Amino acid sequence: MVDDQDKALEFYTHVLGFVTKRNIPMGEHKWLTVVAASEQDGMELVLEPMGFAPAKVYQQALFEAGIPAAAFLVNNVQQEYERLQKAGVVFSMPPTKMGPATITVFNDTCGNNIQLFEV
Amino acid sequence: MSITFYHQHVLVAKLTLYPHEALCEQLQWARDFMNRHFAEDINLEAIASKACLSKFHFIRVFKSLYGCTPHQYLTEIRITRAKQLLQQGHNIASACYLTGFDSISSFKGLFKRYTGNTPASFTRQQQVPPVACYLPFGFALQKSNFRDSW
Repeated sequence: MVDDQDKALEFYTHVLGFVTKRNIPMGEHKWLTVVAASEQDGMELVLEPMGFAPAKVYQQALFEAGIPAAAFLVNNVQQEYERLQKAGVVFSMPPTKMGPATITVFNDTCGNNIQLFEV
Repeated sequence: MSITFYHQHVLVAKLTLYPHEALCEQLQWARDFMNRHFAEDINLEAIASKACLSKFHFIRVFKSLYGCTPHQYLTEIRITRAKQLLQQGHNIASACYLTGFDSISSFKGLFKRYTGNTPASFTRQQQVPPVACYLPFGFALQKSNFRDSW
């Protein structure tokens, strides 16, 4: 869930590199989804507006603990970390090796931590 | 940067679950070898040698780290590549041999087991154009109706 859909769309497309799949107006909000640029018929990520107070409490607790709301597989975590850092993205965990995986966590500016991982 | 609760847990998990970093790296060499050479006739001995481990030890630690045997992993990357080839218009025999399988019948069986579809039905699905435009909340408009409503 995101606290501002326009801001989220800007971040997920222009900074992360997703592509807008659906942007359907629905009153105050919209049905907004993005997809990976390399797999535009693949899974859609819904940028759901935050409109439920208890969910906001839960989201905030997860955020403060540094727990990711979503995780995306990438080919090279270190490269993505450097690219996103240059774009001004704030990381709460630098690339960290854990067995066969390397993971890193950043702030999506809309209330969530997002994890990138490489296995 | 202050360390978050999640970061602390990751560091603890790293120390307790994966204490042998060098062994993880050796397994990654073997996995990289499979990723690069899956289309060739590679065997377990060659793969294990990339990790500098005996065959049996290699299978055991690979499974404990990746949750599947090296053979299952190799089959999975071959099937993933075969799917791409079928999507690009290759026929079944071509997708089979270009991805390192040596028999069409075993390729068909494994393809079905890993994807839930036979190669033929997977290919047919790729050729069928989408017929409906889906909207959220369970609404689906047939393409023709959608056009008529303009």
